[in-house]
Amino acid sequence: MKQNKIFFAFLVTAICLVVLSPKISSAAEVKLSFDHFYDHAELTAALKALQKANPQFMKLISLGKSYEGRDIWGVIINNPKTGPEEHKSGFYIDGNIHGNEIQGTEVALYAIWYLLNNYGKTELATRLLDERAFYIIPTMNPDSRDYFVNKRESHRTGVIPVDEDQDGVADEDGPEDLDGDGFITTMRKKDPNGRFRAHPDDPRVLIPVRPGQKGEYTLLGTEGIDNDGDGNINEDRLGGYDMNRNYGFNWQPHYVQYGAGDYPFCFPETKATRDFLLAHPNIMGGQNFHNAGGMILRGPGAKNLGEYPLGDKRVYDQIGKKGEKIIPGYRYLIVYKDLYTVFGGSIDFLYSVLGIYTFTNELDMSPTFSFPIEGERDEGEEEDEEIQRLRYIAERLAEMTYHDLVLLGEHFADWKPYKHPLYGDVEIGGTKIYGSRVPPLFQLADTCHRNAAFCFFHADQLPKLEFDEVKVEKLESDLFQLDISVRNNRVTPSMSSLAAQRKLHRADRLKLEGKNVKLVSAGRLFDQYRGITGEVEIRDNSIWVESGIPGFDRVTYRFLVRGKGSVKLIYDSLKGGYLATTTTLK
Amino acid sequence: MSSRLMYALCLFLIFSLVLASAPGEVAFDNYHQPNEVTSLLKSWSAKYPQLTKFVNIGQSSGKSDILVLRIAAQGKGVEPDSRPAVFVSANVEGYHLVGTEAALLLIEKLLTGYGSDQKVTSILDKRTVYVAPLLNPDVAQCYFSQTRYERRRNSMPMDDDLDELIDEDGPDDLNKDGLITQMRVKDPEGTMIPDPSDPRLMKRANAKKGEKGVYKVYTEGLDNDGDGEYNEDPPGGVEVNRNFPHDFEYYVKPAGLWPASQKESIALIQFLVAHPNISLILNFSTENTFLNLQQTGQARAAAATVRVPARYASFLGLDPDEDYTLKEIVDAINASGVTGGQQVDESFVAMMLGLGPAMNIDNQDMPIIQEIQKDYKDALKKAELGYPEARAKGVGKGSFIAYCYFQYGVPVFSADLWAVPEPKKEPAAKDKDALTLDKLKTMSSDDFLALEDEKIETFLKEQGAPPNFKAEMVKNMVKAGRITPEKMVEMIEKMPKRPATKEGEHPDSYILKWSDEVLKGKGFVDWVPYKHPTLGDVEIGGFAPYLRVTPPPSELKKTIDFHADYYISLMGRLPQLELKETKVEPLGDSVYKVTVYFTNTGWFPTSTGQGRRARTPWPIRVELKLAAGQSLFSGFRVVNIAFIDGSGGTGKAEWTIRGKKGSKVTVTAKAPYLDSLTTTVVLQ
Repeated sequence: MKQNKIFFAFLVTAICLVVLSPKISSAAEVKLSFDHFYDHAELTAALKALQKANPQFMKLISLGKSYEGRDIWGVIINNPKTGPEEHKSGFYIDGNIHGNEIQGTEVALYAIWYLLNNYGKTELATRLLDERAFYIIPTMNPDSRDYFVNKRESHRTGVIPVDEDQDGVADEDGPEDLDGDGFITTMRKKDPNGRFRAHPDDPRVLIPVRPGQKGEYTLLGTEGIDNDGDGNINEDRLGGYDMNRNYGFNWQPHYVQYGAGDYPFCFPETKATRDFLLAHPNIMGGQNFHNAGGMILRGPGAKNLGEYPLGDKRVYDQIGKKGEKIIPGYRYLIVYKDLYTVFGGSIDFLYSVLGIYTFTNELDMSPTFSFPIEGERDEGEEEDEEIQRLRYIAERLAEMTYHDLVLLGEHFADWKPYKHPLYGDVEIGGTKIYGSRVPPLFQLADTCHRNAAFCFFHADQLPKLEFDEVKVEKLESDLFQLDISVRNNRVTPSMSSLAAQRKLHRADRLKLEGKNVKLVSAGRLFDQYRGITGEVEIRDNSIWVESGIPGFDRVTYRFLVRGKGSVKLIYDSLKGGYLATTTTLK
Repeated sequence: MSSRLMYALCLFLIFSLVLASAPGEVAFDNYHQPNEVTSLLKSWSAKYPQLTKFVNIGQSSGKSDILVLRIAAQGKGVEPDSRPAVFVSANVEGYHLVGTEAALLLIEKLLTGYGSDQKVTSILDKRTVYVAPLLNPDVAQCYFSQTRYERRRNSMPMDDDLDELIDEDGPDDLNKDGLITQMRVKDPEGTMIPDPSDPRLMKRANAKKGEKGVYKVYTEGLDNDGDGEYNEDPPGGVEVNRNFPHDFEYYVKPAGLWPASQKESIALIQFLVAHPNISLILNFSTENTFLNLQQTGQARAAAATVRVPARYASFLGLDPDEDYTLKEIVDAINASGVTGGQQVDESFVAMMLGLGPAMNIDNQDMPIIQEIQKDYKDALKKAELGYPEARAKGVGKGSFIAYCYFQYGVPVFSADLWAVPEPKKEPAAKDKDALTLDKLKTMSSDDFLALEDEKIETFLKEQGAPPNFKAEMVKNMVKAGRITPEKMVEMIEKMPKRPATKEGEHPDSYILKWSDEVLKGKGFVDWVPYKHPTLGDVEIGGFAPYLRVTPPPSELKKTIDFHADYYISLMGRLPQLELKETKVEPLGDSVYKVTVYFTNTGWFPTSTGQGRRARTPWPIRVELKLAAGQSLFSGFRVVNIAFIDGSGGTGKAEWTIRGKKGSKVTVTAKAPYLDSLTTTVVLQ
């Protein structure tokens, strides 16, 4: 508790520092603005500048090329003076796997920038950079990112052509900016039999008519024409898949899970990410950034393969619930239960195959949206239809006020008449690409900072192991009993429960090194007062710690050692770090 | 024979093959090594350039090329990769060497039969046959290594025991007999005993019968890494035929970390996806789907009815507490208008409700599969191969053919080609009044209920019914009217035949007998004492590797010959799209109703039910091209026909067109796996 208070006090100070203080710039400092969306070229320049200014801490690696040939950048941050990265618990961040969910990239960039620029200045940044290794992919989908930032086109998919309408030609019928206002919005047509009416207070808002009521408008969907003349409009758009359904756990084919791809990791972007993760098995915590809705999600994505083991749920709960405090308005939720079923999502692969505790944040939410207050109505009870309707209308009106008076009209195109080649007289208008899902620029820094702060909290909660106590007792002239305790000072265990159960990766090891010393017998000490010890198998001069060290806990092993003199004790955890100490047998 | 001599001999063999020209170029009296398979394919493609194309579809994890031979008469009609095609696959398991031989013989039959055999000629003139005879070359190579070890895993390095050493503790040929067999060692924790009927066979001690375990049985080998375990990190990584993405086993090491994680499986999937012209897959593996259709996921069959969550039910006018069939939900959605006129199908509903993947053969496909099964069984009987049908193995989890049917969505058949022959059981001197299938056929439900339980149970056992089928349970079903004796007969006849092992008989005793009598004892290594460095006194012995899946060369020819011919006969059943009739009905001087009827004169339907659920086979796309001055009064310019049934099924497209009398419209029908059609219709 006390620790958390200190943390929050620190957080508040940190925010004040960033927001209020004039820039105290050192020679190495790179200035980046976070009221700006970076296209791939700008991102590349920013990352290169950061790397150049911080070569001792930061590596910038191209993990591969996207379909259109852009570099997929991977950033590794580590202070080699405090140990090689593989000896530290790693924290992973990726953003923008969905091409239209762009602000995750800025959050990731901010996290890199914050850590590097505050090393030696703030206690937290210094500690994290010394104790942890960071692995960050700011954008997983640079192709669609550039469509969004530079062409104002919104594509969730990557850009490999997919023939969605099965006519032998791929990507030939997407939306277009018919009225030439620079934005693809929506089309509506005056129609006495339509199912919508303009709201009397604000005709820009369309409300569904009640049964029996006459309507005024029919909605015609996204701005576009029937390019291929098959009778359908915009039915074969750019790409046509979902990279966050392409990961190799609980993967299901396209007919079960839309957009899954032909087989797991069939896309260059997902493959590059996978290889980066596989190459760094020390990664223990992970974070994906998506939008939108204000959620801190954990898996499982689907319920068919069961819930997480209890021990791991507790770890998620502790970090996720703290996240709700760090990012006000966000809710800690479970994908399959609270959102929808996701097969083959990144979050499941990271946790269920690689043993990485991973969250997905759905960044930002509509200013008119709030989660229903718990307890307001019974679980599962459907809201009255009329109340739902009124709520919907009220939200739409509030949204227009927000567009007019907060966004100052920048992101809403008023309905304008247009002569459509197929529909005749229509009106084109609606919310523009930057008007939903991404935060307005004046809020971007807030999104970046709070979500990076959540990553820092999670990274700080990765296992932190230390030798608590090493007691040596002489039994015979060259036979010693060693009681070795290893403590974990954080919430996260050094191996997830699932990893221990399913043997996802190697177990932690406790090793003995020294000239002429031999481990003769070993046991785990369950009760130090009564000396109750469970037998443990010896492998050379080491033992395997099959379930690692639990969070905020301590494990003691009793070694029977033959030999004399100085011995080195090593605790070597794949994901929990590496530590060594020496003691003398005398 | 020295290996050099062997090599020279092989070279000579291949050389003579190239020169030979008469049918029956290859002797098929032994197994081809992977490099020989490659040379053979190369020599064939050199010799038959007008019929073949040599395609490299990728590399195995051990960096061997995975090869496909494309066979089609070129220069006739459509380019081969755009023709309706059959894919013949073999050896995806690697240790199934006999599959490779069958595929090679099939290639030979096609190449030598073109021009002389009318059936083959017509197939190669109109269709394309892709043959992949060696899909798992790394594993196939193991059969030919100095020490014969029945390895099933490909060459991907894997740290099975998580000690950060890779493939460091595999089997070792301790007694230097060139075979990896087994070791038995007396151990206080032993659970095995020699079988009383033949002490060479080992069986688990049955404590209920007072038997006490004596031995532990290991694979022949050392504890190479000194961790107390034997052969726990053998060479190789993944069994390719468990690595495909339907019904994949997560957390099972030999299946791979995730589906399609292996170079071999990826190469195969990529090849299939890149060839949407393939509409039939004929496979050789240890699975035999002609005789045993059992699907691994059968136990988890999707429910016939489902509930609709409240959030959807409310706007569909459905009751969330009520059960609905998918069809009912489809109707409700289409009637609700929420899709804006777009018709949804059952596949969409299954996806929306998160029902997960299909786990059973689609009902629409069952009759087709059963018909082929019957045809195969009849042909098998005629060929007198003496194949032990009751032992045929069904489809494995994550297997290639499961992927082909459930995800790639085309009909697939697999033959295992051979199994250790089983001696015919002498019919027991039967009670005159014992229940038989024929008697059951004529019984009424009351007759059946009057039978003694014991008699029914004996009968069920004889028929190989699952052990949980008890007389009382069956009687209750009859009483409740859920089943009649007649229906029972029907079910039993469809049931995969299970081997009926006699009480007390060791399940492998017939294999041992066969080894003794036919192989002159070569299939079994007698237990011989050996001084093991860590286990002490052990005995080494047991069945020879590859015994169960590899026919002796003398038995090879007749089965591959039968199956190559049979597969060629199946190729003649591909769907064939044809124009049946065109009707033009004048509705005035300038308005005409045009209806074009298509038919499928092939035997298979144009797509499978599961394929349509998986949305992999494209619908037949019928496009209307209007001339200047014409316009559509009603109908869509593009009409998609979901499928046309085989053996004369029909499908149609219709339009009402405004146009001048005597003017023409053009109609084109196409799908990647069918011949395209174009016809001109005159409005009159």
